[in-house]
Amino acid sequence: MSTISRHQAWRASDLARAVLALTSASLVCNPVAAHSGTGLPGGWAAGFMHPLSGIDHLLAMIAVGLWGAFLGRPLIYVLPVVFPTMMVVGAVLGMFAVPLPPVQIGIALSVLMLGSCIALAISPPIWAACLVVALFAIFHGDAHGKELPSAADPVSYSAGFVLATGLLHVSGIALGSLTARPIGAITTRSFGGLIAIGGAWFLFRAIRT
Amino acid sequence: MRGAIAPSALLCAALGLALAFAPRNAWAPSVLALLSTVAALTFVAMPRAWLEGAFLGCWISVITTAGSVQLFAKVTSRAALILAINAGAWSSAITGLSGSSLDLLEALPWVLILWPASWVSRRHGQVPIKVGSSWLTAVAALSIALQLLPVTPGYLPDHME
Repeated sequence: MSTISRHQAWRASDLARAVLALTSASLVCNPVAAHSGTGLPGGWAAGFMHPLSGIDHLLAMIAVGLWGAFLGRPLIYVLPVVFPTMMVVGAVLGMFAVPLPPVQIGIALSVLMLGSCIALAISPPIWAACLVVALFAIFHGDAHGKELPSAADPVSYSAGFVLATGLLHVSGIALGSLTARPIGAITTRSFGGLIAIGGAWFLFRAIRT
Repeated sequence: MRGAIAPSALLCAALGLALAFAPRNAWAPSVLALLSTVAALTFVAMPRAWLEGAFLGCWISVITTAGSVQLFAKVTSRAALILAINAGAWSSAITGLSGSSLDLLEALPWVLILWPASWVSRRHGQVPIKVGSSWLTAVAALSIALQLLPVTPGYLPDHME
């Protein structure tokens, strides 16, 4: 094994460990508890846990990173920058109670669309990928922006929230970096397919209620 | 609850990220400028009515400082010095006005993020730092919105309910 391939192997195992740790951390959280109440008593910790506790939001964040990694540069870092930026726009709309189309359907569609894009290996132009992600980020931001002002310490809450969202993107990028490996593309697309199935379920649930 | 630690810590962190993009010989003068500005302004009494404006200025400074990381490939020595003085002024203002100057002891060390940021930048490129700075921008923009918010719609049901 050459030096380069040994280095690549180390990076792959390191990446796998990081993904495993992040996945375990997300599974430990109760997917219902943190979303069951209105009003948020907490600060940084509550904000950090919030994105990890809603499976729809969590899958969308991972999908953004995964799709970005799948599409390669520059979208690997542009999409994780576009998403939080536009999520802030959505959050501000939510805080000021600006009416939007049904947010639950928008969030479910985001999971379905992003998962499908990965599963079907869709490679749109840069502007189109940014537009898709920006549009869906508004729905995610709106949903959480409505809750933000009631936090005991909104600044720390938002810092925790943004950090967790960013880390979910990073975990998606880590998963997406498997694409470079021999069966990586199939694995990544399979992840996308699973995310799309989850999105279809969320959409079904959102339309039914 | 609105403490002065988080805004000033985030401003110092943004400065640290900006300094990671500046020449190494600009680090020490910039950190010194930050500390000198803080030390000088700690003893200046400001009218309590300036509190809201000071918080707003601090958040705008976070956006400006983090934005310098996102928009430019390099931060010049002069720009680093200006950003450091600016960070020192706003950090000192909000901690002084909120009556908790000791909060600076918790906030200022965040500028030391420049070392890991510089290491990451050298080893993995500028992308992780640019992404991290976009998170700071997002938090600052949310905080400005919160400051301008006329109502509290937090009682509305969650999207999962």
